[in-house]
Amino acid sequence: MSDVQRLSPAEKQHLSLGFLKLTDSAPLIMAQELGYYEKYGLSVDLQREVSWANVRDKLVAGVLDAAQMLSPLPLATSLGVGGMRAEVITGLALSLNGNAITVGQRLANEIVEHGGDPAAGACSTATAFKHYLDAGDRQITLASAHTFSCHTLLLRNWLRAGGIDPERDVHIIVLPPEQMVDSLARGIIDGFCVGEPWNSMAVQYGIGAVQATGYQIWNNGVEKVLGVTESWHQNHPGTHLRLRLALMETCAWLAHPFNREQTVSLLSEPQYLDLAPEVLRPALTGQFAFSKGEAEVDLPHFHVFGRFQAGFPWRSDGEWLLNQVGELMGKTLPPEDVKALVQRTFRTDLYREAARHLSLPCPSQDYKPIGEHSEAWEIEPGIELGPDLMLAC
Amino acid sequence: MILVDDDRSRATSVESKLRDVGFDVLSVIPTASGLLYQMAQQEPDVVIIALDSPDRDVLESLSIASSHNPRPVVMFSESGDQGFITDAIRAGVTAYQAQDISAERVRAAIDIAVAQFSAFNNLREELDETRRQLEERKLVEKAKGLLMSVHKVDEEEAFSTLRKLAMDKNRTLGEVAKEVIDILERNPIKGQSR
Repeated sequence: MSDVQRLSPAEKQHLSLGFLKLTDSAPLIMAQELGYYEKYGLSVDLQREVSWANVRDKLVAGVLDAAQMLSPLPLATSLGVGGMRAEVITGLALSLNGNAITVGQRLANEIVEHGGDPAAGACSTATAFKHYLDAGDRQITLASAHTFSCHTLLLRNWLRAGGIDPERDVHIIVLPPEQMVDSLARGIIDGFCVGEPWNSMAVQYGIGAVQATGYQIWNNGVEKVLGVTESWHQNHPGTHLRLRLALMETCAWLAHPFNREQTVSLLSEPQYLDLAPEVLRPALTGQFAFSKGEAEVDLPHFHVFGRFQAGFPWRSDGEWLLNQVGELMGKTLPPEDVKALVQRTFRTDLYREAARHLSLPCPSQDYKPIGEHSEAWEIEPGIELGPDLMLAC
Repeated sequence: MILVDDDRSRATSVESKLRDVGFDVLSVIPTASGLLYQMAQQEPDVVIIALDSPDRDVLESLSIASSHNPRPVVMFSESGDQGFITDAIRAGVTAYQAQDISAERVRAAIDIAVAQFSAFNNLREELDETRRQLEERKLVEKAKGLLMSVHKVDEEEAFSTLRKLAMDKNRTLGEVAKEVIDILERNPIKGQSR
């Protein structure tokens, strides 16, 4: 698609990239398998990390050049909340959606008893959950994979949609994704919101049942982004561009449904996710089961890579995320601070630079509405965006 | 103080050094073993944690949910000493402290942990290097043996062939030996007919 010769040279050719054991690390992994890094003159070491704190700290220390990051994390890191403070930016979103809320089998049965039906949608289960909580003195603990993550925000919004106060009516803790299923099985937690394959694993083991997908709570919410520190970008603008181009071509490849089965088998390899293909398949192919033994539902947008301008780091999404981060910290950030920080962090200019090289159509504006479209729509001629509704009951 | 590390021998050495200088180590736990419970029970002033522990996101979540936990943890990066932090991260260790603890005192503890982690890293590297050398020696011996039997040369000649190949190709002796083994073992008949 692009003429590599015309690109400015890479300041650094050998890169270390961090990823976590999640199905939406597919862009970083498939770029390696498909030879796109190589095409852009880069050789890449993929390092599997065990925590987002690790990813952030290794980026800041220069141990990693770039990494997959939760979309709110560059903002939270720039604010210095929870851990080390550093200017982290993104010029490319890697995926939309990809999460789900799962509760243990016992609670799932209670939700059914109280009239909830996952097949009827996220409102049905949230409302039934509220009825269950109202019916007695319940101690419920739910887990999210990180404080400043879409998982936390989706979980809180699902609870609220059902009339549940996420601060008072339940207890929300943080657990590493890989400990979720085990903690649910042992009854340490009653449910969780996490990325895949951990929901499908709980379903396939018969430990839990999915009550809502991330898509149902926020249609096409930005999930993972490519994060680098501001200073790394300053020192390696040529390398950064090449890296974005390699990943954008990979995301375009991933957008084709018929490439997903190959992705399942490669991601399952030991050096990547090291998990059975069966557990990776539901999210990546969009043939998703909400509970064990039930028929799979067709959810083609469970993970969105490439489509619907998925790579564009919308500043409107950034502002929404940052306001939610502020709420989690219990303070309201002044609107002008929010705007300024998002402008520094969500680098739409860097996305456009890459899109030009690939001759891809790309939005001319940085902001789009949230919560207004129930169908795919055109923001500008030739620029198709997905639905953007937020769950309301 | 709580120490979180899966590497038991490393944890033991860090613990004993910390005790030597008067730190009170409340518990040493592996990762994924109920850190939240330990935090609530023991209320440590400082948590020293291996960088490769998945529990770090859990620990950081406590600094936000302070109403649930009397001991909020704060990253020591408040001190703003970037070099110090980078050294700790490269050594593979990091730490969290309660808000009301003096940074000086925490820093002394982290220095000890970093030194111990670095020493362990060096040991591991030395071990890896020794293994690598041993492996290389084995490959070279095998390649020499193959060259001697296939090409009917003596040991000295076989070795100088390997060394010349390594120099010409700008590769290590071990790499060249491995290639020679691959070729001669894959095509023993072709090799013998020469």
